[in-house]
Amino acid sequence: MIKLLLRKFLQGLMMILIVSAVTFALLGVAGGDALSQLRDNPQISEATIERLRSVYGLDQPLPVRYFRWLSDAVTGDLGESMYFRVPVSGLVWARALSTFLLGSAAFAIALAFAVPLSFIGVRYKSTTIAAFVNLLILVTASTPRIVLALFALAISVRLTASALEGSSPVLFWLAALALSAPLISVFLAQLHGELQRTMREDFIKLARAKGLSESTVILRHALRPALNPVLTIAGLSLGSLLGGSVIVESVLGRQGLGTLMVSAVRARDLPLVMGIVLFTSTAVWLGNALGELLQAVNDKRIRDLGF
Amino acid sequence: MNEHLSRDGFSRRRIDRVAVFGWLIVGLFALSAVFAGFLAPYDYSAQSRFEPSAPATAIHFNGLTPIIYSRRVEDPLRRTYTEDTSSAFPVGFFVRGYSYKLFGIGETNVHLFGIRSTSGIVPRINLLGTDQLGRDRFSRLLYAVRFSLIVTMIGVLIACLVGIAIGGVSGYAGGLVDTFLMGATDAMLALPTLILILGVRAAFPLELPMTRAAMLLLLIFALTGWAEIARLTRGLVLSLRQREFVVAAVALGVSQTRVLFRHILPNILPSLRTRAILLLPTFLLAEVALSYLGVGLQEPEPSLGNMLTAASDLDQLRSQPFSVLSPAIAVLLFTLAVRLIGRSERAQGI
Repeated sequence: MIKLLLRKFLQGLMMILIVSAVTFALLGVAGGDALSQLRDNPQISEATIERLRSVYGLDQPLPVRYFRWLSDAVTGDLGESMYFRVPVSGLVWARALSTFLLGSAAFAIALAFAVPLSFIGVRYKSTTIAAFVNLLILVTASTPRIVLALFALAISVRLTASALEGSSPVLFWLAALALSAPLISVFLAQLHGELQRTMREDFIKLARAKGLSESTVILRHALRPALNPVLTIAGLSLGSLLGGSVIVESVLGRQGLGTLMVSAVRARDLPLVMGIVLFTSTAVWLGNALGELLQAVNDKRIRDLGF
Repeated sequence: MNEHLSRDGFSRRRIDRVAVFGWLIVGLFALSAVFAGFLAPYDYSAQSRFEPSAPATAIHFNGLTPIIYSRRVEDPLRRTYTEDTSSAFPVGFFVRGYSYKLFGIGETNVHLFGIRSTSGIVPRINLLGTDQLGRDRFSRLLYAVRFSLIVTMIGVLIACLVGIAIGGVSGYAGGLVDTFLMGATDAMLALPTLILILGVRAAFPLELPMTRAAMLLLLIFALTGWAEIARLTRGLVLSLRQREFVVAAVALGVSQTRVLFRHILPNILPSLRTRAILLLPTFLLAEVALSYLGVGLQEPEPSLGNMLTAASDLDQLRSQPFSVLSPAIAVLLFTLAVRLIGRSERAQGI
């Protein structure tokens, strides 16, 4: 168990180091920064720009800048946003909260589809329900979030004119629904498939032989082992949620981590871009680790294996 | 047993039909990309001051000939139009209009349909209405499909080449190289791709001319999209290395490159093809997202992404949602078609 955690921790650390270094290098090699746009302004002399470059440490060689950034980042200081003129970490935390709420709602929606539908599908072995489940998996998997978000926008515009305030609950749930579509697909496919597989196991036969009702057999005996792969997928889906939030938030005008990333890219605000990349890769790693941890909590076999 | 067999056969035939449907849609997309100039009645950047944000042109019938009427702005603020029914303009086929290059070589000016000019002022036929600058949305959509598909397909090709190289080396070399390369692959797979893509995009100037923007998109796709292919290639190479024919080739003293290219690569290509097809919608969506956010292909060239920015005009979205969201519907159709193809290929165990 501890070995598992330690390995996950080291893997994550490696991943974050590699990703931040690669992003930093790319940003550095391409040579663009917030100051290069100042060059287009005839009012600002080349000398001023040079002075600003040394103020922000942009005249240092790339590895020096990276290690300076990294040692600051370890202490939680991600530098100052060049566009918003506030510390990056505060900005990222504030926006991440909004995205976290949206992501949790999307998660809840996906589970609310996957668990009851899988249960009904396995409990009543009807071909109609199976066909419906398969259709839902196909449709949710192949409807892109940007399309769903735009449809949601069109619907909310049709419904009311006032639904477009960013804080309206209608818009929040529409955004969550658009964000959850791919999750519904993977959760449903995994859980339904795994539940069907589990129902053929010997211990299910035993539970039935004890005279338990079919519903009890599913809920008390089959569901828990079948949840294992879903937990892994759930942990892995954090990355997809964060990526999807960029689009959904932009289309529906929500202030979150995704829209922050877009404005950072547009302003070429490199400290902010680096901060968000660091934050999301850390979050993705934590999500993965949490998924495996939950799996170990859920399943004693994995705990005992101890890998 | 017997029932099992027949059911299997039935499901395979049914899945094939679904795949045919998918290929049909993809084929239609390819055709409209190739013949965009012929199918589009107007130049994608030709503006019309008289008809900004107009709804789709109503097509009437005079007997069997389709006709349209010219339109006048009724209320410039709410952008409503009235038809002037005094003179009718017949819709003609194989009409001469602006010139374009067919297949990028022969210059011609014949279009599938349009309004035959007889007098001075000829109304324009806008099947999907016009955008805020009065440009014909239908023509723009056709060219958008062309631009987006070209970028997507070249992107998939490049990402595949990079992925095959990395995965092949990783699987064939093994050891420390393998550990390092697969570590990088796992990191790539775990990260939110769109955030990574945006991060890379931040390094380059915001406003780019068409070709440079397309090159940049391709570079970004190659940098971020190779991981899946690399992972798959490595697994396939690892399993093939143990096979008798590869062992025999090595024992006969065939060079490593030759083993890789002549014996291993041909055997992994079918599996890679399926995965490459499934990468198409991923990259198309990345292009759509970047262009929608204003950091991909930019105006006046249309792409499926930058056409969708029109949806931020809420008045037009409310009055003509279908026209405004037609690029989104095209994206949806394409992803759905590719999914259907991929699903049937996987079911056949390719």
